[in-house]
Order: sequence, then structure tokens, then C-alpha cells
Amino acid sequence: MKRRHFALLMAAAMTAGTAAGCAGQGSTETETTAASAAAGQTAAGEKLQYWCELTTTVAANYTNLGDTPFGQGWQKSTGVEIEFLHPPTGQQKEQFSLILADGNLPDLMEYNWTVDYPGGPEKAIKDGVIMPLNQVFEQYCPNITKYLAEHPEIDRMIKTDEGNYYVFPFIRGDENLMNTIGLMVRQDWLEELNMEVPTTIDEWHDVLTAFKNEKGCVAPYSFEYTNNQYLGADPFVAAFGVNRSFYLGSDNTVHFGATEPGFKDYLATMNQWYEEGLIDPDLATLKNDQVSAKITNGQAGASMGQAGSRMGTWTTAARATTPEFTLVPAPVPTLEKGKQAEMGYIENPFSGRASVAITTSCKDIEQAARLMDWAYGDEGHMYFNFGIEGESYTMVDGYPTYTDQILKNPDGLPVSQAMSAYIRGNYNGPFVQDIRYLEQYYTMEEQRQTPIVWGQCNGAAHTMPPITPTSDESKEFSTIMNEINTYRDEMILKFIFGTESIDNFDTYVKNIENMGLARALEIENTALGRYNAR
Amino acid sequence: MKENNSFGYRLKRDWIRNRSLYILVVPVLLFYILFHYKPMYGAIIAFKDYTPALGVHDSPWVGLANFTRFFKSVYFGRLIRNTVLLSVYNLIFGFPAPIILALLLNEVRNKHFKNVTQTITYLPHFISLIVVTGMLTDFSMTSGLFNDIIEFFGGTRSPLLQNPDLYRTMYIASGIWQQVGWGSIIYLSALAGVDQQLYEAASIDGAGKWKQLLNVTLPGITPTIIIMLIMRVGQLMSMGYEKTILLYNPSTYDTADIISSYIYRVGLLEQDWSYSTAVGLFNSVINFCLLIFTNKMSKKFSETSLW
Repeated sequence: MKRRHFALLMAAAMTAGTAAGCAGQGSTETETTAASAAAGQTAAGEKLQYWCELTTTVAANYTNLGDTPFGQGWQKSTGVEIEFLHPPTGQQKEQFSLILADGNLPDLMEYNWTVDYPGGPEKAIKDGVIMPLNQVFEQYCPNITKYLAEHPEIDRMIKTDEGNYYVFPFIRGDENLMNTIGLMVRQDWLEELNMEVPTTIDEWHDVLTAFKNEKGCVAPYSFEYTNNQYLGADPFVAAFGVNRSFYLGSDNTVHFGATEPGFKDYLATMNQWYEEGLIDPDLATLKNDQVSAKITNGQAGASMGQAGSRMGTWTTAARATTPEFTLVPAPVPTLEKGKQAEMGYIENPFSGRASVAITTSCKDIEQAARLMDWAYGDEGHMYFNFGIEGESYTMVDGYPTYTDQILKNPDGLPVSQAMSAYIRGNYNGPFVQDIRYLEQYYTMEEQRQTPIVWGQCNGAAHTMPPITPTSDESKEFSTIMNEINTYRDEMILKFIFGTESIDNFDTYVKNIENMGLARALEIENTALGRYNAR
Repeated sequence: MKENNSFGYRLKRDWIRNRSLYILVVPVLLFYILFHYKPMYGAIIAFKDYTPALGVHDSPWVGLANFTRFFKSVYFGRLIRNTVLLSVYNLIFGFPAPIILALLLNEVRNKHFKNVTQTITYLPHFISLIVVTGMLTDFSMTSGLFNDIIEFFGGTRSPLLQNPDLYRTMYIASGIWQQVGWGSIIYLSALAGVDQQLYEAASIDGAGKWKQLLNVTLPGITPTIIIMLIMRVGQLMSMGYEKTILLYNPSTYDTADIISSYIYRVGLLEQDWSYSTAVGLFNSVINFCLLIFTNKMSKKFSETSLW
């Protein structure tokens, strides 16, 4: 009953707003008062509930985003009181499910609405979970409206096929922010062994073999296999011109990489490496702490991951005992020497991640909208990326430079944690990420090379745009892909471990086809068609 | 004198006599009503296309579509097989373990030794499952403790948790390790209730320790064993998902993926509520049938039963 009441109010507010908008273009004052008069009765002065994941670098020192200097300053600067709610670490999806099922929604929810809402964003609107934001943007959000007008390619990404905006998006504001995962290898060992940074699959084989034989590595190449993002970004898969999942082919249609011939070659190579002891034998169960241990204590000599949270952290940790420890980035390998890789992990500027929707439970839409819009303006942009002037950064010749509070934290916090206390620029959230954060976050020369080295591929042309299947399609799609993905994940490991002969690859492909791959591809391609037509 | 035997009268008389007992049972009753019977209403979403926005009541009916989808799924056979096998092995090995431990402890005459052993065996019960599985994962790594032992005895190192053939052994053995001491407590108390005169009589008749065990001790605790068995069988198919999702990985899905872990993946991670409810309901129906079946069998063979 209560909810219907709100819905009515909401509708009233919206119509009032629209009417005002039609009558007097540009006179934001009238619109505002009209809307808040209708909607604001119950909500004035109430705290806004803001649900988001607490990222690990914050969680290391704080239990609530509201306790951080960032959270407090944000409320002070915008004059909006926020109550932050966080799911237990790593259980974001589970809690999201439970909140939805319960129906008692926080006002603002930060989530991957594009990918992780069953049925897609348009369904979330139709289900009455979140608000369509077109009206809201127009009425209360001058900053994001301006940004989208200046960046039509982003504007296209963040709406549904029906033309509805649905989130305040997380946007990577520079190309170099989009390829933050890649291969890395022990440079000091390479020098000792008189070898070059490997660029082809054959060279990698030689290097890993040398690591095994000369350096006594038990797991020459080790990486965090249980991390889905890493699996999707795997440069060794890209080397064979495919992808583990869906990608945009050169023919501008959607392909499913895991059934293509290139993938068979990838599996055969990995199987050979596994049997020769070049890949970590515990592959399937590897988590970050185990990989970190192996890299830093010299059991492994190559890995993959981010330049900051992996390369930087490992180097700092390992130099305590091994001063010469140096990791350098390696490009996406190729099959032929001197060629540039076609595939490679390069994200879209908008991936859907960490974007904020206003839920239908929100009573004070205007306040919520203005709070969110602030981040896309000049003041908010600086605040989200650099924090508080004079405290976490100072302007040096027009360049926002982090203070020692961040870079040489007096309490001895690592840079990533010191940053996370003041900004969101070093992870994600509803704002436009600034490259100037990365330039300072990367303190080592090797880290600064990563965007260039890892960017040496044509991967951006093959990344799937944020397409949105319709809710019926999406249901069918997830039913099909659920089965296929489980089977694929299982079989990949079996092929690599050699418990399943690579000769059975054709049977594996046939099985996946029987699970309805053609239909899934059809759905993706139809959605792509609609996306291109936006 | 006229006897009034109507239900109402008997209840009233009983209430006056045992009032405190009734009051004692109220919280338990409430617990079951609130947390076990009331949620059953929600099970109807198994026959609906549930979306939270529409709610349980207004979501459209879809008949048996969710069930057919499960029966047609390529994983249906494997899920049933894995769940049944894991449960049955767990029953065969896991059920007698605490009984054996209790019987052994019962024969120990040194009180100190008995207490220490008991404490040591039931301590693991208090270790969180996350910690237990974390230890298991680390020990099973190629460089882990289990492999150190295997190598010491001349075996070769291998990643144990990536071997589907070993998964069930690891799952069940660790379960026994964790629960054996705790489970034996109920049998120890049953053993304490066995009449000592029976032992005297048996030994006068010339029965040795072994014969006493077979003819006095075991029959003495049989009712407890049967009740425990029935309850255990009733839960045969309801293996929890927690331990499974902490221990498995795609390379062991073959033997590790069970109905509850599947429900977890589909229901909570993919947010396919109706479908996962249908699978869960199907599971419960099997459980229910098993319970009735065991109860019948036990009634027939041992005259001990739940109802």
C-alpha cells in the first residue's frame, strides 16, 4: 500500500516537472519547486540511503564509506546526508538478490545494472525497481547532461535501446585507463639469463622453461585463475586471436571464442605447458594470496594482473628480501615474431560497473539526482579524483598533485589505501575517472610503461559494446549461457590438465552447439544491431 | 464416577498439570511456525515467473515450466547422481563413525584419557567451516601438507583438490574429522543409560567383552541409533551448499556439483529465483519420501519409529 502511495506521488512529481519543463525552457527554478513540492513532503531532511560495495582498499581501514574523509567531505560539499550501506565483501550479488526479493530498496544503488540485473536495465525499469532518468537528467542534472552532449559515444553506451538513461555511470576518461590488466615478467631474471621480454608464444615457452630449469621455479607462470576478470582478460587466449567468451569479430558480428579453432590451439599449448611444468599445477584453485606468495618468493617468475594492485604491490613486498626484484610488462603475445596482436583486453569507457541507479523507493529524487550530478561537474570531478585540496592534493602549475598524505602516508598506509580514504578515482564509482590519478599512482617506471606495452594490440575493436538484450531475450540468453559457461569452464580445465584429450575438442564444440549457442549468438547479434542503430 | 474423556477436557486437565512444560514449548513452536511453515507460502513461486517488483502474489503462473526446465537440463543427471552418491557415502561412512568412537570411548577405563580424547575429538566442531575449508585448500596444494605426507611415503605431488576422483573422499573425511566427536556425545549419554546389571549378568553367563558389546551395549543404544538414522536419512538429499562452494572448482564439478550448489549458482548468482525454488522444492519432495520410507522400514524391522 505504502509503495503505491509513493508511486502516485512520483508520477505526480514527474508530470509536474514535465509540465513546467514544457512551459518555460531553461527556468530550472520553477521546475524544481514544482517537483519538490509534490515529492518532498515526506522526505525533506531525511538521510539518503546509498548502497555500494566497500572496495578492499577501503575495507582495510574503514567499515563504512561514511567514516572515510571521502564520505564525510562528499556530504559536506553537497549538503546531502548519506547513510552508506555495504554488502559483505565478495557477496555483492547475493545481497543484491536478497534486497530485490525483499523489496525494501535503498534510495541509491551502485551496481552493474547493465550486466548483472537479470533481464537487463530496461527490465529493471519495467519491474519498477529503478527510475528512468531522462526526465531527471533534464531537470536536475546540468553537469552530466553537458558531459553527455560533449561525448556522444558515451551517451550511446549508457542508455537502453529504448533510449532510457538508467544510471549515473562510471566512465573511464582516458584510453590508458582501459587496459590496466596484462602480463608481467621478472626482468632481473631475464637479464641474468640473457633473455629478452617475450613477445611470442614460442619465446614465452623458452622463457618459462628457463625459469623452471635455471631458477628452480615450481610454477613459472602463475596467475589468479579464480578471478573471472582475469580469465576474460587472458593475453594467452588473445594470442590465438580468440576470446574465452563473446567478442566483436572483424566482420562486425558477435563471436563466441571458446568454440573457435584458435581456442583449440590455445588449449593444446596450455596443455603442453602444463605437462612440462611451466604453469602453476594448482591453477584451478589459485587466489590472489597464493599467487602473491609465489611471485614474491620466486616460485613463479611471470604472472598477470593490474599494474597497481599487483605489479606495484608485489615489487614493493619482494624488494624487502630481494632488492633486485623487478617486474616489467609484456605485450599480448603473438604467434609470429614482430606482428602486433589483434585481440587483447581493452575495456569500454563504460562497462556498467559501479554505476548508480535511483530506485523507485527514493522519496527525494531531486536531492538524489543533484547529489549524483555533482560528481560530473568541475568541482565534483576534482573531488572524486583527487580529494580535498590542501589535504590530499595541491595544485602545482595547474596540475593536481597528491600530497604526502597520499604518496608517503604518515601512518605507513600503502598508496592504494591512502588514496581510497580520500578519493574514488583509484577504483570506481559514479564519476569520470581522470588519467592524472594514474600518472601519480604509478610510482615505478615499469608501471608507467604498462599502458603503452599492454595497449599494443587492436583489442578495442573487438570489445563487446554494452549491448542490452530485451528482457525475454535476456532470460533465454542466460538460461542457455548458464549451461554453456559451466560446461566450458569445466572442459577448459580438463583440456589443460590433460584429463580430456584435445582430440575431443570437436565433441566439446558440438556439445556447446547443442546447448543452444546459435540462439545465444542470434540474441547477441540482434542486440548489437539495435545498439548500432541507437 | 463418570469419566469425561473429551479432547477438550483432557487438554484442560493436562494444561493444569503441565502448564510450565507447555509454556516451555511455545518458543520452539513459534520458531517452527515462523521460520519453517510460514516461508512455505513462498514456495509457490516455483510455479510462477517471479519478479520482486510484482511480488509473490501477483507474479504470473507458469505451471510446471520451471520443473521441466530442470528435468531437461544437461546437468540434471549429474546433479542427482552427485547429490545421491555424496549423501550415501556420507551416510555409510559418516553415520557409524561417532557410534564407533562412542563405543571405543566407553571401553576406556582411564577417566583422564577418556576426557582428553573426548575434548580433542569434539573441538573441531567449533572451527568455522570457512577455516576448515581454507586449511583443506592449503593442505591440498602441490606444496601443501598432504602432499608432504604423500611424498614422504614415496608418492608424487599433485594438486589434490583438482582431482575429481578424490573430491568425495576429501569432503567426507573432513566432515568426519570435524563432526565425529560432537556426534558421539549423544551416543555416550545413551551408553550411560544402559543397565549395568545386564553386563554383570552377561559376564556370569560367560560373555566376553566382544559378546557383551554385541548383545548388551548395541541393543541398549539401538533406539537412539535408529532415531538418529531416521533423522539423518530425512536430510539425505539436503546437503548444504556452503562446504561445496568453498571446496569445489570447475575442474571438480564432475563429482562435486550437487543440487544445492547448483541452486546457489542459479538462484543467488544468476537471480533466477523461480527456477531455483523449483529445484529446491523437488529436492525437498525427495527428502520427504525418503523420510517416510525409512520410518516405515524401521517400524517394520525394529519397532522403533518417529511416529
